[in-house]
Amino acid sequence: MYAYDKYDHAITNARVAEFRDQVERRVKGELTEEEFRPLRLMNGLYLQLHAYMLRVAIPYGTLSADQMRRLAHIARKYDKGYGHFTTRQNIQFNWPKLSETPDILQELADVEMHAIQTSGNCIRNVTTDQFAGATADEVADPRAYAELIRQWSTFHPEFSFLPRKFKIAITGAATDRAAVKWHDIGLIIKKNDAGEIGFEVLVGGGMGRTPVIGKTINEFVHERDLLSYLEAILRVYNEQGRRDNKYKARIKILAEDLGAEEYARQTNEEWARIKDHPLDVPEEEAARIKSFFRAPPLPVLSDDVPAVAELAKKNFLFGAWVKNNTNQHKVPGYVNLTISLKPHGGIPGDATADQMDLVASLADAYSQSEIRVSHEQNLILPHVAKKDLPAIWADLDEAGLGSANVGLLTDIIACPGLDYCALANARSIPLAQEISKRFDDIKRLQDIGPLKIKISGCINSCGHHHAGHIGILGVDRKGEENYQILLGGSGAEDASKAAILGPGFDEHGIVDAVEKVVAVYLGEREESEEFLATYRRLGPAVFKEAVYGAR
Amino acid sequence: MAKKITGPQMIVANLLLDGRVVFMRADGSWSPVAGDAAMAEEDADVEALSALAQKSAAANEVLSVEVIEATTRDGKPFPAHMKFAMQAKGPSVRTDLGYQVSPTWEQ
Repeated sequence: MYAYDKYDHAITNARVAEFRDQVERRVKGELTEEEFRPLRLMNGLYLQLHAYMLRVAIPYGTLSADQMRRLAHIARKYDKGYGHFTTRQNIQFNWPKLSETPDILQELADVEMHAIQTSGNCIRNVTTDQFAGATADEVADPRAYAELIRQWSTFHPEFSFLPRKFKIAITGAATDRAAVKWHDIGLIIKKNDAGEIGFEVLVGGGMGRTPVIGKTINEFVHERDLLSYLEAILRVYNEQGRRDNKYKARIKILAEDLGAEEYARQTNEEWARIKDHPLDVPEEEAARIKSFFRAPPLPVLSDDVPAVAELAKKNFLFGAWVKNNTNQHKVPGYVNLTISLKPHGGIPGDATADQMDLVASLADAYSQSEIRVSHEQNLILPHVAKKDLPAIWADLDEAGLGSANVGLLTDIIACPGLDYCALANARSIPLAQEISKRFDDIKRLQDIGPLKIKISGCINSCGHHHAGHIGILGVDRKGEENYQILLGGSGAEDASKAAILGPGFDEHGIVDAVEKVVAVYLGEREESEEFLATYRRLGPAVFKEAVYGAR
Repeated sequence: MAKKITGPQMIVANLLLDGRVVFMRADGSWSPVAGDAAMAEEDADVEALSALAQKSAAANEVLSVEVIEATTRDGKPFPAHMKFAMQAKGPSVRTDLGYQVSPTWEQ
């Protein structure tokens, strides 16, 4: 993992001291709310429906066991004993007191964490593949590049007041687990014919009220040119992105207006001007950052572990958990283990302080003290020996973390919705709870197979409904919660926009509608065909008829 | 600009120090209980309440002051719109939490 140097420590500590002073002045009345609001937002502190909310960055989704323990401590000491892991690889605390937030930020800074740029019109936390550096299907580890971008973008004076917020995602694997095509900039690590590492660069992806899938503007930018190329993209956006209308201010609108070719041309023109200046990182510094992300020294083990196979045969739930919640590690004998934060009937992404402590202990004991957070709101132990799976499962199951549903219908993404969020129009979490209760049968879920449901409580799309195989969007219909159903989205390498199927439903009707959609799929699928493939083959008509009847 | 509200109204805000939800009483003080809120219907009455709330915000006691539609529930004032009703009740998915669970706090 990356370790802060003296500059990182200095700037995060200085920022805490600065914010402490700002909070004191606000409490004394020396700053008005109008003056203070942008200052608190720059430090991740929002006001939500019931209280303040502090959004803490988990850079590229990577946490040490000690950092996780600190999050648990914060949840216990300053909050109400739990935290919420988000689709942006952040964690949100829902009940901090204003006067205590500087103390929380200091506790975070002490373990090399912060809430800087988790809000505001700046470059936000860079996200990536939760299995980065540990998966068998990877060209290169994206975390070193994500860290480089974090350092470049933190307090970047030119890009601190962009037209709108800005999100960058990177994948190093062919299987896109980071939804890169849905980001303002998506980076896909590739090797050229000479074996050198570079990036396919996509621009202008985004969800919100205008969903757009990013378009490639450069097939290969050499890794040495990464920062100057990003700077060129951002400069074009910063100069021309709309500032008159916040709904048209994201880069996706500018990129659509200009077209990918013209955006590429302008970027290249700017890049030509700056690329030979010393913005790009010297090789020795790039090597220093990469050295923090060296693969841990794992002795090769056998992939064939009879004790695990025997337990899986005897205990169906354990077998399902191993089948669904593990991904092949790049070292034989190991897996990336996903801990589902989607217990049936539970709140997607929530973890109690005790659960966080348990995950930290398991990471120490079994996963090189490393933890990851996925944009799908689960936790990952990235380096687990297969032989240790029975012991880990026993501990997780006892703590209510043994759900075997990763990648299945009940592994639902849901935004906080109207239960917490001041922007929401409808609740999201209760729908996820009802759907997971309706499908509370792991055999049935496995029979249905991979199916991603994503729920947003408003058009801002924090719940990624545009990218759901089944997406659900909550709206306010004459003062009542109403839910639209969308089908056919994907956040993966085959990214696609989900389409609205028809009129919306109340909170009970939408669960019935999901069940009808699933029934059509089960009736129509061809052998081993997954839901999305069946939908793409059939189109919406047959689903529409099942949900709404013949009209 | 927000649509002008007609009919009964009440005022909701968040306390500066901890963000908790509060409703304005007739005397200009704040209560965590929606049922304690003053309801007003005439423009002049709403404006008077609103002026008290703005004064409190200017004194850095509260922020996010909103004049909202009110209804009655069990004979007491309650927010008419679901968003503000959620503020009055606390998160529906964590009914064990929220300041509303123990509404004994007084200013």
